[in-house]
This record gives sequence, structure tokens and C-alpha cells, in this order.
Amino acid sequence: MPDFQIKTQTLQNNIVMIKVKGFLDAHTYEELEKTISEFFERNLYKFVVDLSELGYISSAGAGVFIGAIGTAQENNGNIVILNPSNNVKEVLELLGLTQIFTISQELESAIKTFQQ
Amino acid sequence: MANVKLQDKLVISTDTKFLNIVRGFVSRMVRQSDLPDEDENKIIVAIDEAVTNIIEHAYEMQRNGTITIQIDADDMKFQVAITDSGKRFDPKIITDPNILDHIKNKKKKGLGIFLMRQIMDEVRYMFKDGIQNELVLVKYIKKV
Repeated sequence: MPDFQIKTQTLQNNIVMIKVKGFLDAHTYEELEKTISEFFERNLYKFVVDLSELGYISSAGAGVFIGAIGTAQENNGNIVILNPSNNVKEVLELLGLTQIFTISQELESAIKTFQQ
Repeated sequence: MANVKLQDKLVISTDTKFLNIVRGFVSRMVRQSDLPDEDENKIIVAIDEAVTNIIEHAYEMQRNGTITIQIDADDMKFQVAITDSGKRFDPKIITDPNILDHIKNKKKKGLGIFLMRQIMDEVRYMFKDGIQNELVLVKYIKKV
């Protein structure tokens, strides 16, 4: 598994897919934060964040989503988490974030949440 | 593993780039211990959060300090003692966060101590006057 990698892709209806690989911690979170901020600057606020290949997250990593979801929702967008690995899901649960963020197992259902 | 007694120590510089090494060290020790496999990720997270806090708060991201992580485990408990010589920082003064307030205020930090407390059975802090901070995290090993 790579140390850290971000791949982005714009899908239908201005939905941005961000795939994060490797580990998201106090050393790597700023890069993801910058990526999301750059999309905000382009007025893109709908995100599907694929965490299927993210092997590890700490609170610094989760903080990126906590800090960004408010701005996304204020602009009729959202951050939907796609298919988190077990380790990542465990930390999101410990932080109480699985009650707050929409978590989808399939890309199709993640995209559908923006049509509701 | 019966009657296991483990002891090892890692010393790192105060730079977040070494968190990966900390996690590798903790992972190896957890796997050698009597802790169940399902505890591995959580213990790694707790230690990562403790070390991150020291780098960010006790050293304010200055990279010229060192942090020592000493692990002692037996068949009763897995104990991690983390020492540093940075600014005094007692996690006891930090109250548990309200996650909805965090989201409302777009606050990204301040969740590490909450995670440590959620995961570990004991979180103890000691300030040894003029010398160092010591944070001790303990996970009890439950007999099956």
C-alpha cells in the first residue's frame, strides 16, 4: 500500500470523486485539506470520498472531513464516504462520525444521495 | 502466547513524518502480545494520537526534540509510556468534545485525547519537575 496518494475525478452533475490511498494522519492530512479547498474555490461542493484503499486514519485525518462538511452543506453539497476499510470505519465509529456522515458501500448509491 | 513478557523502546525526533515508524513499532508489539487482533488498529490509533499531540502541543511542531515510546506488556496488560521534554501538557484538562459543535464550528482538531480515552483503559499523565512529561497508556488484557 502506498504511503499516501490522492486521485480526483469529476463525475456527473459536478460531483467530485476523491480516492485517498495509504494512510491519513497528522503528516498527510494537509494535502487532502488543500485538495478539498481547491474544489471549494471552483464552487464544487459535492464529494464522494472513496476510502476503500485507505488503510489507516487518525483524528487528524478525520478532522479534514469534519472541517469541510459544514462548508459543503452550506453550499447545497455534501461529503459522502464510500466503502471505508474496516480500520477506517472503526475510527469513524469511535468519533461518532458514522452517525453524521452518509456512508455508502456502492458508488451508485453514493451518487444517488445527491439526487435526494 | 502464555506468560509473555515484552519490552521494547523506540526513540523518534519530533516530526510527524516518523508517525509511520511509531505505528509500525506499536503494530509489531501488539502482535507479539496477548492482545486480541481486533485491538491492533485501536491501540495504534491511541499511540499515534498521543505522539501527535506531543509534537503539536508540547513541541509546537519544532523538530529538534525527541520522544521516547517504551512498551511493556505481560499477560495482564499492555502498557505504553511516552516521555518527552517539551512544554507541559496535561490531557486531563481537555474535556470530551461534542462532535456536532466541531462540525458547526468547522473545528478540525482536539479529538485525539477523546480517542485515547475511548480506546485505552488508563491514561495517566505525570510531570517530572524540570525534566519531562510522561504519559502512560494502559490496555488490560482480558482473559478469555
